[in-house]
This record gives sequence, structure tokens and C-alpha cells, in this order.
Amino acid sequence: MEQQKRRPWRRWVVLVLMIVGFVVGGIIVPVQPEISVAAEKLIEEPISENFLGLGPLYLVNTLPTLAVTIILLVVIAFFTNRSLKQSARTDLVPRGIGNVMEAFFEMLYNLTEGSAGAKWAKAIFPWFATIMFYVLFANLLKLIPGFESIGVLHPAHGEGHAVAELGGGWANLLPQKVEEGGYILAPFFRGISVDLNFTASLAIIAVVAIQIVGFRAQGFGYLSKFFNTRRMFKVPFFGAMDFLVGLLELISELSKILSFAFRLFGNMFAGIVLVAIVAGLLGKISILPAMIMMFELFVGIIQAFVFGMLTMVFMAQATQGHGEEHEEAHAADAHEI
Amino acid sequence: MEGSILDAMRYVGAGLAMIGAAGAGVGIGLSVQGALTGMARNPDTYGNLLTNMILGIAFSEAIAIYCLVIAFLMLFKVV
Repeated sequence: MEQQKRRPWRRWVVLVLMIVGFVVGGIIVPVQPEISVAAEKLIEEPISENFLGLGPLYLVNTLPTLAVTIILLVVIAFFTNRSLKQSARTDLVPRGIGNVMEAFFEMLYNLTEGSAGAKWAKAIFPWFATIMFYVLFANLLKLIPGFESIGVLHPAHGEGHAVAELGGGWANLLPQKVEEGGYILAPFFRGISVDLNFTASLAIIAVVAIQIVGFRAQGFGYLSKFFNTRRMFKVPFFGAMDFLVGLLELISELSKILSFAFRLFGNMFAGIVLVAIVAGLLGKISILPAMIMMFELFVGIIQAFVFGMLTMVFMAQATQGHGEEHEEAHAADAHEI
Repeated sequence: MEGSILDAMRYVGAGLAMIGAAGAGVGIGLSVQGALTGMARNPDTYGNLLTNMILGIAFSEAIAIYCLVIAFLMLFKVV
């Protein structure tokens, strides 16, 4: 029996890319970029002086990435919809992208059903899946080559880098620092999860949605989680204690916003700083930054999963009652059996 | 020499901020230890334990990431 030998041509692509990276890294030496926590402005002047009465609106470099992300998501949704409609018309067997999406979301739905129960899984699942998918794309898009490295040059206010003209209006930064007349780079694209505005707004949306799911599940009884007066006048000391613990729940609800926002932002920001510093330190050796990029891929997937998963777990907690109601429900179940 | 003490203190502060990562390391180690013990005793719970372990790790890791962000803020002269 003769087996046909598979030709592993893909590994040669990787090797060629490594050699190209090595050669290009030798010609154009990587520069340690100017790292700023806030998104850099592409144009110094604001687009509108007083946007909706809130203040000046600048064209920062996370806005183009946001547009790219949303366009990508809309395109994926369009093709998935078309693929699924086509399979529904013919033989009900999903193919191609529809199949991939169905497998992915079925896995997520089973996860939701496992921890939230079949009753509330339908209400919770859209939040979970939307947030997770969006954050996944936001995290992974920043790993594309060209993000964080191609952009406009601004004259530096303090120390800057010298530039070398490449022709056609393009220039590259040189590693030497000059005291005056230097330039700093403001890249065209910067990953959106490396902007605190994005993570904070997503965190606020998630926490508000958690409260909404809680109210839908328990009505105004949900408030008794925060203002727990149920046992206050029955049990002398521990009733008052319960009330205080309920007030602490209120604070923990607010701190969820902070921890959601800073977890994602911190991980992603640490990622770009790590890649930039390693690339800037090693210079011509391009293989180690590639390894760090691989680690960033892992971190991006894990953080997207964690953001969605935490939203889902908190929502599942909000749908379940607290304390006595829970036991009563169990007792009722036992009676029915 | 001007401002060099301020710069030096900035690096010292960044280093001190990263002490907090020790706690996160202990936390991650403990949660993985617990999960692995559970998996070894009852391999059927592998998937369930893995999900919850990753969640717990993310919680502990967030503490280290806060420290890292503070250290970066000091290093890059934001505050």
C-alpha cells in the first residue's frame, strides 16, 4: 500500500517569513516606540470643537481600528447569514463559515446553559456571545503587522527620534535619539482594547445589563440583595449584619466596572508594551518578538473568554435568588417530587 | 544631574509596585494546584474544572496586571 506523501509546504512559508524578517530587521532597525497610555491623536486639531456639548473630539488612532473591527464583524455576520440561509433552503447541512459559527456558538450556548440553567440561558446568551465575540476581534486585530508601527510623524515636544527619508513622502525612524527637532510616531491603527474608553464603556454596558437581567428574573425583589431588610427585625444582631453586607454588595457591584475595565485594558496594554520593548531591545533578531506575539494571541483569546464568561456568571448569579428564597424553592421542588 | 533623583525614584517606585505580583503568583499557583488535584482524583471533571480554573486564574492575574499598569504609569511618566 503506497501512501501519497503530503507536501508540507506551509513550513517553508514560515521559514521564508523568518528570513525576510531577519533581513528587513537588519536594514530598518526596530525603534522602541513612544508608549502612551491614552490613544494618540492623528491630527493635532480637534474634529469638532464641542462635540454634543461634551468637549472637543479628536481623531485618535483607535477610531480607525473601531471602524475596521465593526466592518469586519458586519461582513462576517453577512456571510454567515447567507451561508445558513442557503443551507436551510437546500439540505439543512451547514457548510463553510456557517458551520464554523454554528459550532462555536453552540459550544458557547452549552456553556451558558450549564451555569445559568435552561430557563435563563436564552436571555443571557446574547450578551455573553456578543461581548465575547466583539472583544475577541478587538484583542486579535492589534496583532496584525502594521498596527502600532505605521503612522504619521509628529514633531516631538521633548526628546524625539531622527528620521531617514525613504521617498514618496515616507520616512522611517532611526534609533538615535535627538534632543531637538526629533519626531515621534502616532500609528494609524492602535488596537481598540488598548484604549481605556473602549474597555470602560464595555464594562459599564456589561454591569448595567447584569442589573437588567436581575430585575427581569426577580422583579423588585432583586433590590433585596442590596437593601436586605428581610431579617433585620426578626433576628437581633445578625439581621443588622445582613443589612450591612447588602450595602457592601452595592459597592462590589460598582467595583465590577473597575475590575472589568482594568483587567482587559491592563492585559492588552501590557501586551503591546512587552512586544515594543522586546523588539526595541533585541533590534535585529526578529524571532523573539514573534514568540511574544504568539503569547499575546493566547492572552487575547483568554481575556475575551474571561470577559464574556464573567458577564455570564454574574448574570446567572443575578437571576438566582438570595438566601431564604433559594431554600424555599428547593423545598417546593422536594414537595413536587 | 538635574531631575535625576526624580527619575531614580520613578524606577524604584515601579519596582516596588511589582511586589504585588508575588501575591498573584501565589494565588495562581494555589488555584492550579487545587484544580489539578481535583482532575487527578476525578478525571471526568476535567472540562468543568479547567473552565473554572481559568476564571480563577484570570481573577488572580488581574491583581498582578493592576500592579503592572501602575508600574508602567510610573515608568512612562504619566503620573
